[in-house]
Amino acid sequence: MGKKMLMLVTAVLMVLTTACSSHSNSENNLKNKQLVIGLPSDATTLLADTDVNSATDVQIRNIYDPLIKRDAKTGKFKPWLATNWRSINPNTWEFSLRKNVKFQNGVPFNAEAVKGSIDYILDKANKSAYLSRWASIKEVKVVDNYTVQVITSTPYPTFLHRIADDFLVMEPGYLKKVGLKKAANNPVGTGPYKLHTWKRNQYLRLVANNKYWAGKPKIKKVEFRYVPEFSSRLASFLNGEIDLFDNVPVDSVDQIKASSTGKVEQVKSARVDYLALNTFSNGPMKNQKVRQAINYAVDVPTLLKTQLNGYGVQITGPLAKNNQDYVPTNAYPYDPKKAVSLLNEAGYNPKKLTLTLDTPNGRYPMDKQVAQAIAAQLQKIGIKVNVHVNEWETHLSKIMQHRAGDMFLLGWGPSYEGQTTIQNLFTKSAPFSGFYDPEVESAINKALPLFNEQSRKTAFGKIEQMLVDKAAWVPLWQQENIYAVNKNLNFTPRTDETLQIFDMSWK
Amino acid sequence: MSEFVIKRFVQTIIVIFLALTGVFFLVRLSGDPTLLFLPPDAPKGQIEVFRHTLGFDRPMYVQYIDFISHAIHGDFGDSLVTKESALGMILSSFPATLQLALSAFVLSLVVAIPIGVFSAYKRDTLFDKLGVGLTVLGQAIPSFWLGLLFIYFFAVKLHWFPTGGRTTPISMVLPTVTLAIYSMARIVRFTRSKMLDVLKKDYIRTIRAAGVSTFEILTKYALKNALLPIITLIALDLGVLLEGAVITEIVFSWPGVGMQIMNALMDRDFPVVMAGIFLISLIYSVINFAADLLYSAVNPQIRLK
Repeated sequence: MGKKMLMLVTAVLMVLTTACSSHSNSENNLKNKQLVIGLPSDATTLLADTDVNSATDVQIRNIYDPLIKRDAKTGKFKPWLATNWRSINPNTWEFSLRKNVKFQNGVPFNAEAVKGSIDYILDKANKSAYLSRWASIKEVKVVDNYTVQVITSTPYPTFLHRIADDFLVMEPGYLKKVGLKKAANNPVGTGPYKLHTWKRNQYLRLVANNKYWAGKPKIKKVEFRYVPEFSSRLASFLNGEIDLFDNVPVDSVDQIKASSTGKVEQVKSARVDYLALNTFSNGPMKNQKVRQAINYAVDVPTLLKTQLNGYGVQITGPLAKNNQDYVPTNAYPYDPKKAVSLLNEAGYNPKKLTLTLDTPNGRYPMDKQVAQAIAAQLQKIGIKVNVHVNEWETHLSKIMQHRAGDMFLLGWGPSYEGQTTIQNLFTKSAPFSGFYDPEVESAINKALPLFNEQSRKTAFGKIEQMLVDKAAWVPLWQQENIYAVNKNLNFTPRTDETLQIFDMSWK
Repeated sequence: MSEFVIKRFVQTIIVIFLALTGVFFLVRLSGDPTLLFLPPDAPKGQIEVFRHTLGFDRPMYVQYIDFISHAIHGDFGDSLVTKESALGMILSSFPATLQLALSAFVLSLVVAIPIGVFSAYKRDTLFDKLGVGLTVLGQAIPSFWLGLLFIYFFAVKLHWFPTGGRTTPISMVLPTVTLAIYSMARIVRFTRSKMLDVLKKDYIRTIRAAGVSTFEILTKYALKNALLPIITLIALDLGVLLEGAVITEIVFSWPGVGMQIMNALMDRDFPVVMAGIFLISLIYSVINFAADLLYSAVNPQIRLK
């Protein structure tokens, strides 16, 4: 009897094995055509201008076009649906639009489409998360078919960055005709790819828009596949099921390099990671000497080498090196003796000092490990550090409600000009640096309305130096974004962290 | 009997109500999702405006009463993220979970019952020890780790199966096996002990003396008698399988209810979490109820009161 049963089980297994080997063959053939990109989560909607989640943005940017694009390497502006732009007065921006562009439903692209899409953001009923950034837009004026003016209630020198990073053009007539619910599942843009199918929590499949105004896309079929678990994502890549995924942890790089089908591509992002020294809590961080001491006691180059395996570039001030308002500043060298004497001067005995350090887990490269390594470095001069590891939303709300510990880890960006970082981090209403100083705030308020690029850079440069002198925080590094890439795919990683399939091709 | 059914029905409603109430307050303990939906540089005033449009600025008890009064009518609201019906989203991912749980259920039956029967027959032999030992090992290994191990060997190394997803029938194999192994041990041990009880009975000795073949004795006489209590246990196990499916779904990117709830939790998409908890507690209660009915069918001495 036992033999009969065993034979049955063996037979079932044999059928299964044969079935799956024939399956993997058919998939190999498909591979030549379809690009599969692995993402940890699904898009929340396929409407543009609605959700700030990067997983959504990365996908829909292939369906819709922006007015202004960024250069992949430098992040500089590139004309796209807008061929030209200028500031008419501090409250008015004018855009000249590209002609002979059509939406995927055949409707021509024009100034009304731009106005309709901005009005979509401004309409509270649409609950666009971008409204918070766009609230100072007063009016959008259609000058002629291919010229549009945006009028703001206050001067908005960095408006072009919002246009480049936030704004994608939808077809307002289509939205009105089918309604938002349907349009959220059936997007119509001017972009290089059209929707094929979207299975929530499984995949989004796109096909090339062969009538694309900038030329036919080289890759004809694309699938964004949702693989929430990192280890599963890595395994899918090593098995050749997905061709590309981002945010590869530094400790998995060697495994990808060693695989027969994969390579690693990397780019310095415009995102900075830092250790905030919280002056909002009533602890020792209110004292400048203590903040300086922490700067001397944290050995950033060693952290970079041991925790991030060198994937990153040390920063010394508040901005990344590829930020247009970046000026060079000097780093605090690693000098534990000086740190101890500064602490003593401030009236603290490091051996009796206990600090808390809040960190997210998995939000930034090796964040938790970096926090623990910082704690170990401070321990060397006697400071006891309690590391609190938080889930992301908890971490964020702790910081926003001024409930974070003496220090916390955070990243900011990608950001290409000074204001989005400096105004959002170092003014009184901004909680993200943990640092506030009225002198710095008044310098920021003077810099904000400046329209001339050079005078802005000078003004922001002064603030950057001021922040270093006051030891506002411990600047850590510019993140290195690491991608796992199929060897047969031509892919150049971009500093703005988007995935633009139009620029990719098979070898 | 009808009294029992009514009593259980009321109990089920209370269980679901308590589960929903507990989860309602638990998920809100760590804050609301407003911050996750907005860009981090959103000004404070705008955050409050957005919180107001989502209704999270109302006192907790008002939100609760609002939720319960809608939930009674089966309305769990729209997902905060996708703006689609929360219950609709959960129901649309339920077939995937059911498919996984049922196929794992069938697989564990097909494998575990023969092992259990044969282990009882070959009691204390090497087969017995190996069979029982291996299945217990299967239950002891966390399915999260086992799943990754399977992916590594059978997908990455041998290329037999895809690493995840639910695109082709073949992508079912690894998650099904992972999940099935989890419940096999219980079925093997239970089948074995029930079979041992039956095999000791006098009538087995009698039919053996009458010259009936071993195969026939085991299947036609012994297993038939041991089967009812086994089925009852297994029915209860279906609930455990649905539960285990959550972890398995995440490892294998299987788009079922578990993954849906997990994603919703990460996004603080409360309506979807609540709809998911509702469905799971409902199914769990129904399975338990069915198991109780089965018990009484197997053993009439258990009265349904």
